[in-house]
Amino acid sequence: MYTKPVIRSIFLCLLLGLIFPVVLRAQTAPEVHAGVDTTSIRIGEQIKLRLTATIPANQFGTTKIGFPVLPDSIEHFEVVSRTNIDTSGDQQLKVLAQTFVLTSFDSGHWEIPPMRFDVQKASNNAVIDTLSTSPVGVDVGTVAVDTTKAFRPIKTVQGAPWRIWDYWMEITGGMLLVLIIIGIIWFIRSRKKVVPEKPTPTVTPYELAMQQLHALKAEQVWQRGDVKMYYTRLTDILRTYFEHQFGIAALEQTTEELLQHIKPVTKLNQQRDKLRQLLSLADLAKFAKMQPTADEHEACMRQTEEILEWTRPKKESENEGVVTQEA
Amino acid sequence: MENTSSDIRQLNEKIHQASAFVDLLNMELGKVIVGQKYMVERLLIGLLAQGHVLLEGVPGLAKTLSIKSLSSAINGKFSRIQFTPDLLPADVIGTMIYNQQRNEFMVRRGPIFANFILADEINRAPAKVQSALLEAMQERQITIGDTTFKLDEPFLVLATQNPIEQEGTYMLPEAQVDRFMLKVVIGYPTKEEERHIIRQNLNPQATPEIRPVIQPSDIMEARKLVREVYMDEKIEKYIIDIVFATRNPEEYKLQKLKPLIAYGGSPRASINLALAAKAYAFMKRRGYVIPEDVRSICFDVMRHRVGLTYEAEAENVTSENILSEILNAVEVP
Repeated sequence: MYTKPVIRSIFLCLLLGLIFPVVLRAQTAPEVHAGVDTTSIRIGEQIKLRLTATIPANQFGTTKIGFPVLPDSIEHFEVVSRTNIDTSGDQQLKVLAQTFVLTSFDSGHWEIPPMRFDVQKASNNAVIDTLSTSPVGVDVGTVAVDTTKAFRPIKTVQGAPWRIWDYWMEITGGMLLVLIIIGIIWFIRSRKKVVPEKPTPTVTPYELAMQQLHALKAEQVWQRGDVKMYYTRLTDILRTYFEHQFGIAALEQTTEELLQHIKPVTKLNQQRDKLRQLLSLADLAKFAKMQPTADEHEACMRQTEEILEWTRPKKESENEGVVTQEA
Repeated sequence: MENTSSDIRQLNEKIHQASAFVDLLNMELGKVIVGQKYMVERLLIGLLAQGHVLLEGVPGLAKTLSIKSLSSAINGKFSRIQFTPDLLPADVIGTMIYNQQRNEFMVRRGPIFANFILADEINRAPAKVQSALLEAMQERQITIGDTTFKLDEPFLVLATQNPIEQEGTYMLPEAQVDRFMLKVVIGYPTKEEERHIIRQNLNPQATPEIRPVIQPSDIMEARKLVREVYMDEKIEKYIIDIVFATRNPEEYKLQKLKPLIAYGGSPRASINLALAAKAYAFMKRRGYVIPEDVRSICFDVMRHRVGLTYEAEAENVTSENILSEILNAVEVP
């Protein structure tokens, strides 16, 4: 059996054995390391090379680590991209890291060469030490070609996978358009509907023509010697009436044209001879300085009134009266 | 001097008597020309109004026969010039030739020295020949060497243009076309007329000969009377309105025509419209002009005086379409 002091010594030894590696681990100088995310790629595939430098926190202010500057290509490898140097750590250790994305187009086993770091004084950048990483081996495999099979054509251009964000402008524009349309519809619907008031005709074409004829009579135009004016106004009254009452563009038609165009209007056509006589006489007075007699002036006025009377639209009550009388 | 009512009545009677030859002429021409009354009427208007006529129509529509018959009926001298690309101005107006016996240059008059000229297919000759003819039409005189010759009166040029086969032709410039009082577009005869034409042509014995019914001096007298035909200021205003509507259609509520018209009628258009309306009234045996006269000849006087834009041509709008719109918009006095 062991004595108490022996047991104590053994316990002490075990305790020291446990504590010693921890004490050993405590870093006193900067260290560097190079690591890759994979050691085996196919031609053209990419690997990430991560360079790290650890430095005790108490030296961080006085010492600087100079990272290796990699060119765009190193032997057998191409540098695709690189990150900035990132600093992290705790109160005891500071870790500086930089990641490179590399690719290779040569098949075989290649080594990423050792990377040299400079340990510099922070005050004057003087190199006080140099650290190197271990080389990293990478297997670059080629694509296995089955030579027994026939050649295949080159693949066509492949479309990039559809992403909704590629179309954000169109989608936003479309949504805006829909919103604008909704807004316009809403605006139109919400507007107070203004019902246009139907203009109530104050006077019918017949009444207007009769008023104008009375005015012409009252002005005693031909009696004052202005025969041309008398016939001009008389025919204008009649032509305007035809235009308003029957939709015939009489003001823009000559006598012959007008007589042709009244043919489809049965009621008017029944007065054709009277109208021809009137318009022909008026033409002579207007364009040939003819001086019709006073009787002819009166007759023309009478004929105009008769034409108006004959062609005016009858009121329903008048029509009924006629039917009753005929019955 | 202002015309009084009695003056116009007297003038009307005078013209009624003086214009009787128009019916005689029509009857005489009707012996050989079947249909084409419209063309013959326009030829007479040109003759009476001292204007020239540009005729557009396909070949074979009795253009030559019409003017030749008119010439015979008036006892005038007729001459036909076939315009070709190699024609020279001297071939039309004449030239100086050297007389070896007399040892001097002598004038050899061209075919233009006639009362009635048929300038067939005028657009086939180069511009210098066209302008030689058009100058003669305007001036009514020709200068060969140092001598100026007055052309015989009445002097009427009937120029024809073929609306098809435009290749290798020299289109008359607008300024030259404007010198023609009328541009008449003629069409095919009716079925009945065509049957009559066939029968007449297959039986040459049945084709009567045209006899002179009047003399050139009668035409000269008639021309004087045509100018005396009374035109009221209302008619003058109507003519001016029509011509102005071709220039400024927007002033006549015809804004839609504005982009279709490149240029409107010139003052020469107004003059010719008035003159042709007077001649038309004369032919209708009236001593005064009425709006019908203006409208009847408006298309023939104006169709070549309204320039169309590319837009109008692209939309197949013709000058006739534009004139119809104008006539339907301008108020008749």
